[in-house]
Amino acid sequence: MLDRRALLQSALLVPLMADAALAQAPAAPPPPTIAGTGGNGTLSGFLRIATDGRVTLFTTTSELGQGTHTAHAQIIADELGCALEAVTVTVGQPEPALRLAGVNEMYTGASFGIRQWAPRLRRGAAAARTVLVQAAAQRLGVPADSLSVAEGRVLHAASNRALTFGELAEAAARLPLPEMPAMKPASERRVSGSNAPRADIPAKTRGAATYGVDVRLPGMLFAVARLPEVFGAELDSFDPAPALAIPGVVQVVPIPRGLAVAATTTWAAMRGAEALVVRWKATPHDNLDSAGVSARLRAALEQPQAQRPRNDGDWEAVRAAAARVVSATYEVPYLAHAPMETENATVRITGDRAEIWAPTQHQDWCVRDVAAALNIPPANVTMHTTYAGGGFGRRLHVEVVAQAAHAARALGRPVQLIWSRADEFAQGYYRPAFAAKMEAALDASGRVTGFNIRGAGGSVMYDYRPWLFRNPNFMDPFALQSVTDTRYRFGQAFRAEYARVDLPPKVWLWRSVGSSQYGFFVESFLDEVAAAANKDPLTLRRELLAHDARALAVLNLAAEKGGWGTPLPPGRHRGIAYMEAYGSLCAEVAEISITRGELTVHKVTVAYDCGDVINPDTVAAQMQGSVVWALSAMKHEAVTLKQGRAEQRNFDSYRIARISEAPVVETHIIRSGQPLGGVGEPGVPPLAPAVCNAIFAATGKRVRQLPLAGQDLTRA
Amino acid sequence: MAKLNVNGRVVEVNASPDTPLLWAIRDHVGLTGTKYGCGIAQCGACTVHLDGVPTRSCGVTLGSVTEAQKIVTIEGLSPDGNHPIQVAWRALDVPQCGFCQSGMIMAAAALLAEKPRPTDEDIDAAMTNICRCGTYNRVREGIHRAARGLAG
Repeated sequence: MLDRRALLQSALLVPLMADAALAQAPAAPPPPTIAGTGGNGTLSGFLRIATDGRVTLFTTTSELGQGTHTAHAQIIADELGCALEAVTVTVGQPEPALRLAGVNEMYTGASFGIRQWAPRLRRGAAAARTVLVQAAAQRLGVPADSLSVAEGRVLHAASNRALTFGELAEAAARLPLPEMPAMKPASERRVSGSNAPRADIPAKTRGAATYGVDVRLPGMLFAVARLPEVFGAELDSFDPAPALAIPGVVQVVPIPRGLAVAATTTWAAMRGAEALVVRWKATPHDNLDSAGVSARLRAALEQPQAQRPRNDGDWEAVRAAAARVVSATYEVPYLAHAPMETENATVRITGDRAEIWAPTQHQDWCVRDVAAALNIPPANVTMHTTYAGGGFGRRLHVEVVAQAAHAARALGRPVQLIWSRADEFAQGYYRPAFAAKMEAALDASGRVTGFNIRGAGGSVMYDYRPWLFRNPNFMDPFALQSVTDTRYRFGQAFRAEYARVDLPPKVWLWRSVGSSQYGFFVESFLDEVAAAANKDPLTLRRELLAHDARALAVLNLAAEKGGWGTPLPPGRHRGIAYMEAYGSLCAEVAEISITRGELTVHKVTVAYDCGDVINPDTVAAQMQGSVVWALSAMKHEAVTLKQGRAEQRNFDSYRIARISEAPVVETHIIRSGQPLGGVGEPGVPPLAPAVCNAIFAATGKRVRQLPLAGQDLTRA
Repeated sequence: MAKLNVNGRVVEVNASPDTPLLWAIRDHVGLTGTKYGCGIAQCGACTVHLDGVPTRSCGVTLGSVTEAQKIVTIEGLSPDGNHPIQVAWRALDVPQCGFCQSGMIMAAAALLAEKPRPTDEDIDAAMTNICRCGTYNRVREGIHRAARGLAG
């Protein structure tokens, strides 16, 4: 949290430049996933150097366990010239005093944490170093170029004199910051690019890290939400008496979409929320079930209307001329994020001001929604970002924060509002259920001459940023993510279409978003094409990527390290898949066995090119996490619908993979020197197809629907 | 008024006997390192030691615990945060978001107390906690590392 008083006391304060100032610096191009907003960049932060020499970065990125704060500290320490330990990273807040022109939102998403921030951080730290050196030059009466910087000090080697950053900070603050400071060449980086211990770990091993649910304020109440079971159902009537009869329950108050039961303890509030008698209004979809969802998706695969963002060549002609056409339909279910910490927020209202404590990925929307709920200016709202028990995109959804504000106002006391685990599963904002139909045209020699894909499902962007759809031609960039911009060349024709299907459950960004389903669809289908053409799956992909050295390098490294084509022990089989997402290229080789229909994934070899690396061990950790995340979804996960509501309410009905199922994950990083790519998400999409392609190798059975649970994996 | 022995200290808890131990620890005793994840003893985020036995505290009621039983939470696992499991966790950067890790560490510490050199199968059987970030590779490695340290 940024303390305004501390900010004013600080001696040297360096704003981290907005995109405009960075235009000449090498930076990753804005990806399509932030269309309409990201072009302006996200809110910038501040770097502060205090008179005691402490360096503090007020970053805009939440620490969700992805290690961003440590990586940010590494970049600052390197460019500034101080010890890693001297740098503290804390989350700033979106208050107007900290806004820079042309920037609009403060959020953590799209695997932006490093790739969007590294250039800004380097530039800000270089600017700080420049004025510190200038201040030292003035104080010592020597030319600036006779000075060097190391370990938080500016040194004049010739006279053996040194001044600390703390001693120089005040004088440096009076100097104008350079617009384009000279940055250190990559070859001089020492801290950035090597492993550094994560700063957030020690507290997390002692139970001392403060998450949203650990916030405690004087006089605060605990509240638990009671929300509709049928998606979108509105409150009809309720009887608070059974809730109020529970000891500890204080009051039942209305909140957006439902009610909150406030009590002196969380447990009393939970019991109260369950005891409450609530009637919900009927909806038109009170009888919707998963079969109905599936029927809608499959109908949309055949309907005439669709958006067509790729239409290269004449698909129909290529199809007609093909020696052979391979075709298949795939489908995946709704998925929950199921972060370990359920949705929660704590709000305190004092007069016309409010404070928020929340584990969030979107500080700006927290402030916006609380200001709107309380009818106060956003400038009157202070944001305290806590640690988050998992993000995965879920915490870009900030509904609980406004609900907490409503409850705090109604109760006249600070309140911590929590969703139960049941509501975490039942309230929508899922990875959309999705279907795809694909066709590949082959010539007589088995070469791919064209590819046609139609995806159908809910629009994530529509539920995430509906205002973008004021433009009736707006194409949801998630709806064919990693497809329209694929590096594959499919011969003479490539058509990609999306048919939007609006269904009652809201859909949301779920780790790797659209790429999560398209990895499974496209990479499994390419395996089918390879089989039809009687080709090795790796060979087929090499043909489709023959023009692209960078992609080939990733594919080949995964194949080499994963032992592709080398003998396996009896019963072991391999599958391979490749996908690019969020600016990073990822290929995975899965090694599996199936015993009596039971799948074991023994090992996953990951080849990864995210341009450059700040902390290799963090990249490895994210690959391990991505593989387990994707494996769990592939094997077990689905939110199914019955009578208009989710059937899953807890981890007994929504199974998550355990340690016994986790494969060995081996990560091999390529430092291609290309613009930085993301790390948190791109490891997810190739996993399911790599494993399912290995299942085909083992059994001859093609998996076209997920999850695997309940499917017969015995040999065909 | 129930009495609990938490981390070597006897504390009075003014809550109904059907209150899950988890919520007594969090909201009455005021120790927030123990986490709510599911409330049905599935995820293990609320794991504490009850007389040395790893126990999912959301599934134990206040009324069923006596003052004679020693409850240890993550805050009391070691006086200085240097239990071998905690040391190994820091050495390997095991946690990601960390929300499950109090329970994970308590389960791992109990496993080591029972089996100083656990096999991979022992780990699979004992460590049924859910980690949504997928830190399982490092949890396994951390347990083996701590075991080697204890043996060494």
